[in-house]
Amino acid sequence: MVDSYKPATLKEALALRKQHDLIPLAGGTDLMVKYQSWSGTLPRFPKGALFISRLPELKGIEKRGESLIIGAGATLSDVAAFPDTPKVLRDAVLSIAAPGIRNIATLAGNICNASPAGDSICALYALDASVVLQRTGSERTVPVMKFITGPGKTVLEGDELVTAVIVLLEKANISIFKKVGTRKANALSKLSFSAVAEVKGGVIDGIALAFGAVGPTVVRSVELEKKCIGKKRSEIESNIEEIVRDYSTMIVPIDDQRSSAEYRKQVALNLLRNFLTEELAGGMR
Amino acid sequence: MSNKISTAVRRVDAVEKASGRARYISDYEFKGLLYARVLRSEKPRAKITGISKPDFPEGYYYIDGKDIPSEGRNNIQMIKDDWHVFAEGEVRYIGETIALVVGPDKEKVLQLLSEIRVSYKEEEPAYTIAEGLACKGGPLFGDDNIYGEYNLVKGNPEEAFKNAVKVVEGTYKTGFQEHLYMEPQGMVGTWEEGKLTIYASAQCPFYIRKSVAGVIGVDEKNIRIKQVTTGGAFGGKEHFPDVIATPLAVAVHKLKQPVELVFDRIEDISFTCKRHPSEITIKTALDKNNTILGMDIDTRINGGGYESSTLIVLQRALLHGLGVYNIPNAHVRGRAVATNTFPSDAYRGFGAPQGLFAIELHMSQVAREAGMLPADFKRKYFIKTGDMTVTNTTMKDVVKLEEMFKAADDMSDYSRKVKEYEHDPLKGIGISFVNHGGGFTGNGEQEIIKSVVKMKRTGEKKAALYVSNVEMGQGLQTVLRKIAAQELGLDYTDIDYDNPDTDIVPDSGPTVASRSTMVVGYLIQECAKKLKTRWDEGIGTETEHHYVHPPGLVWNQDTLQGDAYPSYGWGLNVVEVEMDPVTFEIKTTGIWTVFDVGIPMDDTIMAGQVSGGVIQALGYASMEKCEVLDGRFRQHTMADYVIPTSVDFPEVKNVFIENPYAYGPSGAKGAGELVFDAAAPAYADAVQQLTGRNIYEIPVTPEMVMGALK
Repeated sequence: MVDSYKPATLKEALALRKQHDLIPLAGGTDLMVKYQSWSGTLPRFPKGALFISRLPELKGIEKRGESLIIGAGATLSDVAAFPDTPKVLRDAVLSIAAPGIRNIATLAGNICNASPAGDSICALYALDASVVLQRTGSERTVPVMKFITGPGKTVLEGDELVTAVIVLLEKANISIFKKVGTRKANALSKLSFSAVAEVKGGVIDGIALAFGAVGPTVVRSVELEKKCIGKKRSEIESNIEEIVRDYSTMIVPIDDQRSSAEYRKQVALNLLRNFLTEELAGGMR
Repeated sequence: MSNKISTAVRRVDAVEKASGRARYISDYEFKGLLYARVLRSEKPRAKITGISKPDFPEGYYYIDGKDIPSEGRNNIQMIKDDWHVFAEGEVRYIGETIALVVGPDKEKVLQLLSEIRVSYKEEEPAYTIAEGLACKGGPLFGDDNIYGEYNLVKGNPEEAFKNAVKVVEGTYKTGFQEHLYMEPQGMVGTWEEGKLTIYASAQCPFYIRKSVAGVIGVDEKNIRIKQVTTGGAFGGKEHFPDVIATPLAVAVHKLKQPVELVFDRIEDISFTCKRHPSEITIKTALDKNNTILGMDIDTRINGGGYESSTLIVLQRALLHGLGVYNIPNAHVRGRAVATNTFPSDAYRGFGAPQGLFAIELHMSQVAREAGMLPADFKRKYFIKTGDMTVTNTTMKDVVKLEEMFKAADDMSDYSRKVKEYEHDPLKGIGISFVNHGGGFTGNGEQEIIKSVVKMKRTGEKKAALYVSNVEMGQGLQTVLRKIAAQELGLDYTDIDYDNPDTDIVPDSGPTVASRSTMVVGYLIQECAKKLKTRWDEGIGTETEHHYVHPPGLVWNQDTLQGDAYPSYGWGLNVVEVEMDPVTFEIKTTGIWTVFDVGIPMDDTIMAGQVSGGVIQALGYASMEKCEVLDGRFRQHTMADYVIPTSVDFPEVKNVFIENPYAYGPSGAKGAGELVFDAAAPAYADAVQQLTGRNIYEIPVTPEMVMGALK
């Protein structure tokens, strides 16, 4: 039996976080499954729970300048419904679970769960998203790519809470999210792929490619992306196999109960090749 | 022409189930209820060398084999009684029941369980059919790990192979399949008026009664089983409930208090029976004109740690081994193999789907070897009335396969598409033909089950029917009422039919084997006729009717020769698919089915059976991967054991071909399993055409398609 806390304000929540070793719980859709026990008994939480979904400060999504500020209490359904949500994120969010789960699960929670198969995380990598971490008296902003360090591992400190997710609004004119799940709906990912690109005057001005569930964290290489910047359509087209080869060394998935390493790798590279050929080169026409 | 009985009515259970008012076992309240949880084996194969227990506080109990009364026995009487109620010094699979921990507070029960230490002397386990046959770790059963072997011979297969110009061979594999009924396994045992009473989510109340009576060591009449509204079963609640009911009964017998044993979902997927995995090697001997001279079929199924009903499943796989074909010379061999996986048991189709998957896929492959398209080739060998079956008797059904093919072809445009897709790398269309024997195999109905049904006039315009068969989602409570009402000239809502209670209903047999409508429905029809002639004797008048085997059928259970089934349902499925060349995902773009179930008993209920059976089989064929890793099912959550959702497959387009059966109610035949049988081979056949590569195994996952295309 562990204690649970339901603070009324963010200030109170941060104070509790500092005072006790607690697990922040928003929607609970991952945690309640992770710690479930015999039905009719309490879940086996290893430490106390801090309920944060009702905190007024964490509610809501707003557009601020070129950024979207998504409160840590915003649910996946809220994110999907918000008109300025970038397409790649909206598509990713709508590919998660089923409406009932999306109505309670939060985007911040999906990030903190830090699953390599987390579908929103794949899109957030491609969007250069950051998380805002607060503790009593201070605040820091960390890119999602740096926030997540391994499966289920983040740099969140024991006295911090994620209070918001900041997403840069896309200037991208090409944007796709593709999930290969175990079935067509209400499924976990075998792998996922997010791509956003901005094409200006016939050349690539910006590009971000992220692969989910093919490594311990989402895979993205800013280095490799740089090679594409400034390239024309013909240059991309003639370099497709080289780009695919470059990514091939970075994508090292595993076999598990949902798919095989071989399939994940091959299909990830197929999705990349298909994106470069169809959406990217096609979009530059 | 539509029959009156086929006209759909509102199901009697529709509103209470759709509105959530129906009460399932977990919804019942019992005063002083105790909760039981199973202490399970953690090892796949081991001797138990010791069990250390913490001190149990008052009101908490450790129940094991020592609590079985001296008159009873530690064996569960299913088909074979080798499965123990509680492990006896050794364990043969992970999850085997060692003991129950029982008490009023679940948290305390869990704590006590966590403090029990079982010590094992481990032995080397065998998990697969090949490991079982190789007696890995030494034999688990007999000296060869074979629970049973059968050989069916028709004609002279040896001669056929001697004369063969070409032999086509393939080995076809199917995996475990989880039932995933909506309501997990569960029951509550109580001591009521001096009688051990069990409220059960189950298909076969009298099976449970027999098992429990044997374990407690009392006459069956001293045990009472009350079936409660059951949230799906698919065969998973045929025998397996005995594995829950018997340890529960031992606890209730000792404590004389109500005890609940209800599985959680993960527990249910991890530790209940699955469909038998199969490996079936088929060789076909062809002459120079590519005409089939004979076949050799070698069937192996994985029975798991205990035999239980495995041999009956194997028999059905063999009896359906030649599918719908008249093969002049054939040897059908079958072996059931002992391994250290969770024991396999009944699942919709009971062995037939495995046998039919192999023969259908093989026939498509032989067709291509012979330079023909699958349907053209298969149709040449359709069995006809009067042809010899694999059990050396004549086919007595009126076989309408050609008419069914015509209907399917008209609906699906199969004949045109199959030619068009022959060289299309992204599209394929598959076809399969099946039959399914209704009712128990061979002499089961007349020698073992001996069903009895009862009816009673209960009011001016009211009657009640008494059977032991259960509603489990298939619509039986509506269908049997319709049958009775039609004979009595009443509305179906004027007939009462409660969930069976073994103290009240006669034993009309288990709710299995596509027998409830065909066999029990016929008994109800005949019983209602009797009641009608005696209607004027007044309220309270009762009539009974006993099973009589249809005339002209013979069977020898020792040799498995004769009329294996009184009648067959017939079916054909066409499945059309497309592949995403980037992800190798297969999208099903069309499903067309034609079934001969005699006369459909209710159009809506039968549409549900067809959709449910076909989509369940497509899940089996395409996504329901269930691997064993270190003796455990690797996909044991609903996140990882995936079944189709409503968006995974398109609507099933179906027509029924009417073909009334003289000994079915209003001409009905068995249907519940038939609708499962054909979709998996049709799907695999479609993927074969798409990839241009033979498929030998289901589920055909995108991973497998990628591998095939390499």
